[in-house]
Amino acid sequence: VLSFLKPVLSFLRTWRGRLVMLLAVIGPGFITANVDNDAGGIFTYSQAGAQFGYSLLWTMIPITIALVVVQEMASRMGAVTGKGLSDLIREEFGFRLTFFVMVTLVVTNFGNVVAEFAGIASSLELFGISRFIVVPCAAALVWLMVVRGTYDSIEKIFLTASAFYVCYIIAGVLAHPDWKAAAFATVTRPQAAGIRNYGYLYMVIGLVGTSISPWMQFYLQASVVEKGITARQYAASRWDVILGCIFTDVVAWFIIVACAATLYASGRHDIGTSGADAAVALRPLAGEYAYLLFAAGLFNASLFAASILPISTAYAVCEGLGFESGLDKKFHEAPVFYWLYTLLIVLGAGVLLLPRLPLVYVSVLSQVANGVVLPFVLIFMLLLTNDAELMGEHTNSRNFNIIAWLTVAVTIVMTLAMLFTR
Amino acid sequence: MSLVALSELLGAYVRDADGTARGRLRDIAVAPQDHPTRIAYLIIRIGEGEHLVPAASIKALGPSIRTDGDPADWDTYTASDGVLLLKRDLLDQQIIDVHGRKVVRVNDVEIDSTPINSHMLLNVVAVDVGARGAIRRLAKGLVPAFTLRALLEKIPPRVIPWQYVDLLETDPARRVKLKIAYEGLSKLHPADIADIVEDLPPAEREAVFETIDEEVAAEALEEIDPDIKKSIVESLDSDRAADILEEMDPDAAADLLGDLTEARSGQILKEMEPEERQEVTQLLEFHEHTAAGRMTTEFLSMPETSVVDDAIEAMKTFEGGYEALATIYLTGRAHQLVGAVPLVKIATSSPAAELSGLSERAVSCPPDTPQDEVAALFDKYNLLTLAVVDEHGRLAGIITADDVITMLRHRN
Repeated sequence: VLSFLKPVLSFLRTWRGRLVMLLAVIGPGFITANVDNDAGGIFTYSQAGAQFGYSLLWTMIPITIALVVVQEMASRMGAVTGKGLSDLIREEFGFRLTFFVMVTLVVTNFGNVVAEFAGIASSLELFGISRFIVVPCAAALVWLMVVRGTYDSIEKIFLTASAFYVCYIIAGVLAHPDWKAAAFATVTRPQAAGIRNYGYLYMVIGLVGTSISPWMQFYLQASVVEKGITARQYAASRWDVILGCIFTDVVAWFIIVACAATLYASGRHDIGTSGADAAVALRPLAGEYAYLLFAAGLFNASLFAASILPISTAYAVCEGLGFESGLDKKFHEAPVFYWLYTLLIVLGAGVLLLPRLPLVYVSVLSQVANGVVLPFVLIFMLLLTNDAELMGEHTNSRNFNIIAWLTVAVTIVMTLAMLFTR
Repeated sequence: MSLVALSELLGAYVRDADGTARGRLRDIAVAPQDHPTRIAYLIIRIGEGEHLVPAASIKALGPSIRTDGDPADWDTYTASDGVLLLKRDLLDQQIIDVHGRKVVRVNDVEIDSTPINSHMLLNVVAVDVGARGAIRRLAKGLVPAFTLRALLEKIPPRVIPWQYVDLLETDPARRVKLKIAYEGLSKLHPADIADIVEDLPPAEREAVFETIDEEVAAEALEEIDPDIKKSIVESLDSDRAADILEEMDPDAAADLLGDLTEARSGQILKEMEPEERQEVTQLLEFHEHTAAGRMTTEFLSMPETSVVDDAIEAMKTFEGGYEALATIYLTGRAHQLVGAVPLVKIATSSPAAELSGLSERAVSCPPDTPQDEVAALFDKYNLLTLAVVDEHGRLAGIITADDVITMLRHRN
């Protein structure tokens, strides 16, 4: 009698099996994609919405695809080789190139660390707390959490932090956008007239530039290795990347929509210079809750990214250049590792406490370094994922390669364009 | 005798007997089957082709390489598994520094050239893992050679002599051809081997455990982080995994198998010797977090009528871990536990002394005791071992203090 249930049951069973597999590997891809929505990202999305309304929403789908393509390569390399990206670059491309990549990585990541601490400071200043209290506390918290925690416990904290991005989705709903127009703008082709507009093009470049960065690839691959994901579990791990990228860009979509529905609609096209300014600008238009959600979201995102950037830099550099690394080592066993990690935090946070803040220079320096190093990293990744000796049967397929080279080419052109249009 | 670094040589012109530059150095080969350190030949690029220059024809090794050979005799190079290529296989790769007990990355390779009669003897003597090799490679071609040499003299070298280098090779066939046996690694303390293995990528971990002696592998495996331990056993052949598990303490082997999928642990059990398999299967049935799950069935028990000499004789043939011998248990009728004699008392008593006279009250617990209570008993009675007895009062196994320490550490 119940024989008709069999296929249903077996479907449920395999489905459940897959879900269990997915839950076992979820983490690295999801976390990496979310950290991408850091202080700088949130500001760029807010500005895009305020300045151009819904008309930039079409970028979300291509950006998501590009993000998935690049992240998937990093995560696959980690699972198949069991080695970090800097290890592989060193082994395949030699010492000199590795050294160059690592130095620029430190510079660009230092700039990012400063930007994250600035995000932490400005978001809490909205609640009236002085940065001279916030910044040292946040720096100490970050340092301690990473040094005292284990991979598993930190991953749980980070996954929770990822969930807090829902703040922005709620804020987007509270802004009462025109859903139909927003959805329509997401799937339609961009207007040719818009593309000829310099400011519009500049914003498109900014959106791409903020979404793919070198450090993400190093961090993602390292955490896939750290989590012990192997080629066998990789199919599930790919879903971790895809879901993470989609969630991230859904959040970005809501940030743009929230600002478009309020700021753009009422003619406030320029929000200032930071994510905190966006929250302030929203206050009179979108209401107290949207303001609070934006401020809290910014704090969460900045603290989250500030926790990941220094440690991931220290790991990448030490592995690539052959210094002892790892939190299981004592300070005197891995001095370069701990010093680099500590200095990135102390100096990154310290810059914000200087009376005459050279924030602009730090940010320019970081963007230049980013533009210099990103092409190398992406091309290295493509060469490595096509190396049969390294990847075995997991090399890129022909179709994937076409998409990947195209993505990488566009990203590189966009990043360099951003550098030269400043 | 003079030392030269691989990075100084790569790209150097190779000259024939007339002094004409014929090609540039691409790589240097060692054939471990002929000699462990001797350089067998150079690989040079001439136009588009790659050729072999036999080491015997080399007159000088330096910024320019002189030979007395006839380029017509230089065979075309074809890739071979049986040789170690210093640039491809060693430079920038990870190796095990056996002396320093860690995994390090190679910055440069040092080659010694000693003139013997009319030619040079070339040997690999050390790998450079410090700043000297790193700076040499960064500055090569950017700073004049003599300035660079003078600068590098000032940097203290960090080199590992070649005999303390264990290479990492994941291809088993190639490992045999290159004679990589992890001899140096095998001589380290199991806990040090475990630390080193934890720092390696998965494929290299597997390579080490495929190669080293089973007994060493078993001891090292017991010290490794549980997650990594599990993935190593999953990746090994069932046959090899079974060989290693047979050498482990039955309780540790059972814990490990309990972490694997049923299918996988079944495959491994099938390959084990019947005697070991039975012990492990029994232990597998107990819950991991109880006394029974933590106990080992390898212990020493004597009839209560035995004397000290009997106990010493029994110890000589005992196959389990030494930690299990901290206490010798006494059993009465129907194998019931009646007493416990500390090892120290046996060591300090005359051979004819009766064990029952030395015996203390044996502290014991039933098999289903939760592990927290086990730890509490160790604490309360200051135990080195704890007896686990079944419902008939018979000795089923013992728990040793080292297992309790492991248990407590993993709980946090």
